[in-house]
Amino acid sequence: MGNFFPRWTNWLPLKLAVAAGFIVFGVSLAVPYYFTPKYTRVGYEPTQPVPFSHKIHAGQLGLDCRYCHSFAEVSSHANVPTNQTCFNCHGPGKGNIKASSPKLEKVIKAAETGKPIEWVKVHKAPDYVYFNHSAHLNRGISCQNCHGQINEMEVVKHAEPQSMGWCLECHRNPEQKLRPLDQITNLNYKPEQLDRSGFYAGLLKKGVKADEIAATIKEGSSAGKLEDLVALAVGKYGEKVTQLEVGSQLKKHWQVQPPENCTACHR
Amino acid sequence: MKRKWIHPEEPQTGKRYWRSPAELEQRSEFLSTLGVEFPAGDTLTEEEAGNSRRDFLKLMGASAGMMGLAACRRPVVNILPYTNHVEWVIPGKSLLYASAMPTPTGAVPMVVTTHEGRPTHLSGNPLHPVGGGLDSFAQASVLDLYDPERSQFPTIGGKSATWAEANKGLENISAEVKKDGGASLAVVVGRGTSPTVQRLLGEVKAALPQAKLFSYEAINSAAQNAANNEVLGATTKTFVRWSKALRIISLDCDFLSLDPVAGETIKEFTKQRAQDKPSPEMNRLYVLENRYTLTGGMADHRKPLAASLIPAAAAIIAELLDIKDGSALAAAAPAGLKDWLAPAVRDLIDNKGRSVVVAGSRHGAEVHALVAAINNALGAYGSTIELLEGGPAAATLGTAAELETALASGSVKTLVSLTPSNLLFDAPASVAKSIQEKGVKIVHLGHLPNDTARAALLHIPAAHYLESWSDVRASDGTYSVVQPMIQPLYDGTSEIEVLLALLGRKKIGPVEKPADGSAPAEDPAYQAVRDTFAQVAGSLDETKWNLSLRDGFLKGSGYVKSSGVINAGAVAGIVSKAKAPTAPSDKALEVVLTPDAGVYDGRYISNSWLQEVPDPITKLSWDNAAWIGSVTFRALELKNGQMVKITVGDKTLTLPAIEAPGHVQNSITIPLGYGQTQLGFVASDTKGTGRGFNAYPLRSAAAEFVLTGATLEKTPEIYQLAISQDQNTMEGRAVYREGTLETFAKTPDFAVKTGLDSHIPENISLYKGQVGKKTETNPDGFDYEKKHQWGMVIDLSKCLGCTACVVACQSENNIAVVGKDQVIKGRLMQWIRMDRYFAMSEWGADKAKSDEVNIDPTAEQLENAEMVHQPLACQQCESAPCETVCPVNATVHTDDGLNAMVYNRCIGTRYCANNCPYTARRFNWFDYNKRPLDELYWGPLSTPEKTGVRESLQLQKNPNVTVRMRGVIEKCTYCVQRIEAAKIKQKQTQRDSKNFRVPTDTVKVACQAACSADAITFGDMADRNSAIAKVKGFKDEKDPSKDLPEHPRNYELLKYIGTRPRTSYLARLRNPNKAMPGADKIAAWSAHQN
Repeated sequence: MGNFFPRWTNWLPLKLAVAAGFIVFGVSLAVPYYFTPKYTRVGYEPTQPVPFSHKIHAGQLGLDCRYCHSFAEVSSHANVPTNQTCFNCHGPGKGNIKASSPKLEKVIKAAETGKPIEWVKVHKAPDYVYFNHSAHLNRGISCQNCHGQINEMEVVKHAEPQSMGWCLECHRNPEQKLRPLDQITNLNYKPEQLDRSGFYAGLLKKGVKADEIAATIKEGSSAGKLEDLVALAVGKYGEKVTQLEVGSQLKKHWQVQPPENCTACHR
Repeated sequence: MKRKWIHPEEPQTGKRYWRSPAELEQRSEFLSTLGVEFPAGDTLTEEEAGNSRRDFLKLMGASAGMMGLAACRRPVVNILPYTNHVEWVIPGKSLLYASAMPTPTGAVPMVVTTHEGRPTHLSGNPLHPVGGGLDSFAQASVLDLYDPERSQFPTIGGKSATWAEANKGLENISAEVKKDGGASLAVVVGRGTSPTVQRLLGEVKAALPQAKLFSYEAINSAAQNAANNEVLGATTKTFVRWSKALRIISLDCDFLSLDPVAGETIKEFTKQRAQDKPSPEMNRLYVLENRYTLTGGMADHRKPLAASLIPAAAAIIAELLDIKDGSALAAAAPAGLKDWLAPAVRDLIDNKGRSVVVAGSRHGAEVHALVAAINNALGAYGSTIELLEGGPAAATLGTAAELETALASGSVKTLVSLTPSNLLFDAPASVAKSIQEKGVKIVHLGHLPNDTARAALLHIPAAHYLESWSDVRASDGTYSVVQPMIQPLYDGTSEIEVLLALLGRKKIGPVEKPADGSAPAEDPAYQAVRDTFAQVAGSLDETKWNLSLRDGFLKGSGYVKSSGVINAGAVAGIVSKAKAPTAPSDKALEVVLTPDAGVYDGRYISNSWLQEVPDPITKLSWDNAAWIGSVTFRALELKNGQMVKITVGDKTLTLPAIEAPGHVQNSITIPLGYGQTQLGFVASDTKGTGRGFNAYPLRSAAAEFVLTGATLEKTPEIYQLAISQDQNTMEGRAVYREGTLETFAKTPDFAVKTGLDSHIPENISLYKGQVGKKTETNPDGFDYEKKHQWGMVIDLSKCLGCTACVVACQSENNIAVVGKDQVIKGRLMQWIRMDRYFAMSEWGADKAKSDEVNIDPTAEQLENAEMVHQPLACQQCESAPCETVCPVNATVHTDDGLNAMVYNRCIGTRYCANNCPYTARRFNWFDYNKRPLDELYWGPLSTPEKTGVRESLQLQKNPNVTVRMRGVIEKCTYCVQRIEAAKIKQKQTQRDSKNFRVPTDTVKVACQAACSADAITFGDMADRNSAIAKVKGFKDEKDPSKDLPEHPRNYELLKYIGTRPRTSYLARLRNPNKAMPGADKIAAWSAHQN
């Protein structure tokens, strides 16, 4: 019997095994990166039928988000505005602003025919996820937390992964995101810009006891008046207000307990 | 060490609860289903399944291809906002409107939930004076709106026509009848009480003085009306005050369910039955009836009595009260009836002024006249029965009998049928015969393309009551406006609109937009209702109008008290005309025709929820059958489903028989309404041959519901019935607990002393799960401080078993209908199972003492069995057996005590369902929500018609609940969508404050809102002010003196297995009269009963 296989084949199984090892390694790295919403969703930037610029409206003009998405605070759904909302400024007999702009062509046509504009959905929660805008906006979560710097986007794009893990990250540590209610639609909000004594004065005015606030800043400490609190906070967080400072106070005194139960989102 | 819990021994003596005679006797047909959570389906050949090997390859190829494609591009989803904003609509939020559903005997006031303009769910209107819950008909009526098998276009001479042609046809007809002043015209309306319809009928009569007007409905109370007109006066209405009635005798009157009596709501009746502390103020109900009804189930004393002997019973009661008018009728009474009635009547006399007798509407004028005399003698009028002044009717309507005569005489040439009944299906044969012989032209308004529609010259699709303007009066006379929620889906038109068209004031069908673009003129139907409103309210006050639209009724519009007196002299006259009753015998049986709990008189035949919800007594779905009492059934050696031929005079009907414990011998009950042919799949099956069997042809007059002299012949054929009584059993474990008022007084905690509850060993489980209240000693428990803790209690003293909750749950939670074949295989999807148990505590002397498990009851014992109902859904166990076996964590516990079901995680192992001791979990064997019911078995690659979705049915779905797909387990979630909505609403008001707890008792789950008996309490057990805390008890950690005690009747199902359910039950109370024969057997209880 001669040798059917040439000599080099002796190493073949080992080579294959090594190659397979690399492939498995590569795939196991690639899947968690490419198969997650972080890769598949973030950056999705479809062309919309009407070239509406959030940068101009929300950024330059400073329109409040709720001018158009008017029910976001009361409903699960942050509504896309009706034609009438657009026409409040652009419509004939109203503001009539840029009424002849070709960009408004589809808006005018929709008003004439009654057929709605077919906007392309950017942020889509799966059918089995029951997300509620009002629950978040009323409790210190900003539009920006989930949708990014909309005021800087010419065309809206998917800025955050909005995956379940991403949701839970915040539900487990809400203090990383909470902000005062009057800052919810302030897309440029930075905790550093907050006035510390104003912030604590607001809490005191709401009936929160100074001692409780002090205990949240530093365990076991107590305070009699506003100045003591400010001094305590400067000692703990430094000159500038920090997110953790604001977040932990709000979490404590608003009883923010984001649900981690399945039924919170799946029914 | 492993501990094994041994289930308590089966009781050898004492009271036993069982669902079917097969279970009681431990027959093999029952035993074979025990322990099999999922009965095997029959195997299908490849061809039947629609999946050949070729299909398999196609499918694999396609899915491989799609996998590649799907990776390429994200599917584009569009958002379509409203162009012009719609008033009140907030996308994503539901809108509630108050309205009312017209019913034969009045109206059901309700609140309609709409989502973006689609009505999806109905619930009772608690503001209304006679509002409360809904019955299952009203609850399911929302599905009729979306019925894909509804009549969708007018037909002329059986051929589909346009609305323009229909209008032309109607114009021609109204021009024709005008010629002779309406002499050839007959208009038939239903029993409904729409004041606008009555007013318009008056106008029709004024315009066409010769026209004949009739009221016809298949189920009617013609004899009762005739008697009341004579004895009480034509405009006097009765109104029973259940809240004042302490002793009640019902003569075959199912006043809690299918034979409603004008009066206070059912919850006023049940309120008195649910005692927190033993009190003599508990009412007592005596029922005489031939078959079990829900009212009979609630009875403290029940006597099975042939329906033809009800006049005799009425006469005996009268005699006992010294009213001699009916002595001749009493002669036929069987031995023992008087002995049974005497102590009962004594009891009523002892409570003079607080007692009442009611009689079934099917019975003759003599019964109603006697009952009026009896109530008069008992001092009921003015106390338990209010006499109200209904006011003169705008138009006098002829009866069904007069309609028959008019048609037979040939004077009617044109018949306008506006009644919800199906004249050619349910009227006596002579009507159809005259119509055909005399060539009567029919104009028919109806929801379904049924027999009358097919025979009509002009058929007009009717608008649903949620699609049109109308008005109603409730049983107390309160006036409600019925407002449309949605444009008619199929351009249907309403009764009011057809009458307006007859009067030449309106066109029927879709409203045409004016060509010049101006706003369409005000709807004449709307105007007509407003005109009536102005009459009722005194003036057309816009504020009043808007308020009554908001509240659902016009305040203070009820009937006023009548000054009428009883014309006792008329009683003797009416009674003397009556024929003396004869007792039925095995040679001359009686046949009793009753409305069906699912399809009523046949009008709901196309409603799949009602078809599928098991009959509360027989547990039969999708069919009707002849109910035969055990004595007769066993004497004839029948089997369930065996076809029997019933002959009454020259008419015969062959239909399947079903054994009905509690049914009197020599009597057969047949529910009406089934057997309608040539309709859609739900109503008439695939072949269009009809579901069930039509019993209408057995009768020869429209007012005849008790037929005598019938004979029965056995045939060898067996018909397959979908009876679910032995499905999802709990293997006979004692779950129902009841006791008498006396027991309750002696042993207030009798409920927890039943069974082994007091011998439960201490839980020494090593598993330290989330169980009980979080305290210092139990740090893993449920947090009562910072979370809600949901719980439910069902009061069995109040629950009638009417299944309205089952339908409400189906409507709220998008529960699929599975069809007859699947029901037979035990695949009912309804989350609430209305368990119906029969019970007996009397056994043959030999058997009771023997060691055998088999207990052989005699047929007579079966005839006298008690009946109880127990609704059962997921018990939301704190220590849930289902959760520990789920391999994918698809069912887990939440911090507020819910046993959550995560559909998107479920992979369908069904381990959870196998491990559920309450058998409360349901599995989606097919894509019930994606397929027409008759096409379930087809593969995904079959033709689109077979796999297609009925679009209109999708509109009914609740957008806040996942529509489950094939291969997923589902179960009751305590309406988690409502809980979450309430919590989110609280967040909206809470904003930057600490107050997270939802306002006390504001979350109402669907079954609770539907319950007309107020049997269900749901709420936050961590909120000490809530109704649930008052029942379940509340421990105040800070101040033990403020503890709330647990309700004495509270008990948990299968407590000894340690599942710690959040749903518990309040044991039922009965209030037997010691003087009655057999009183000691009723709800007999002994401390170690089971």
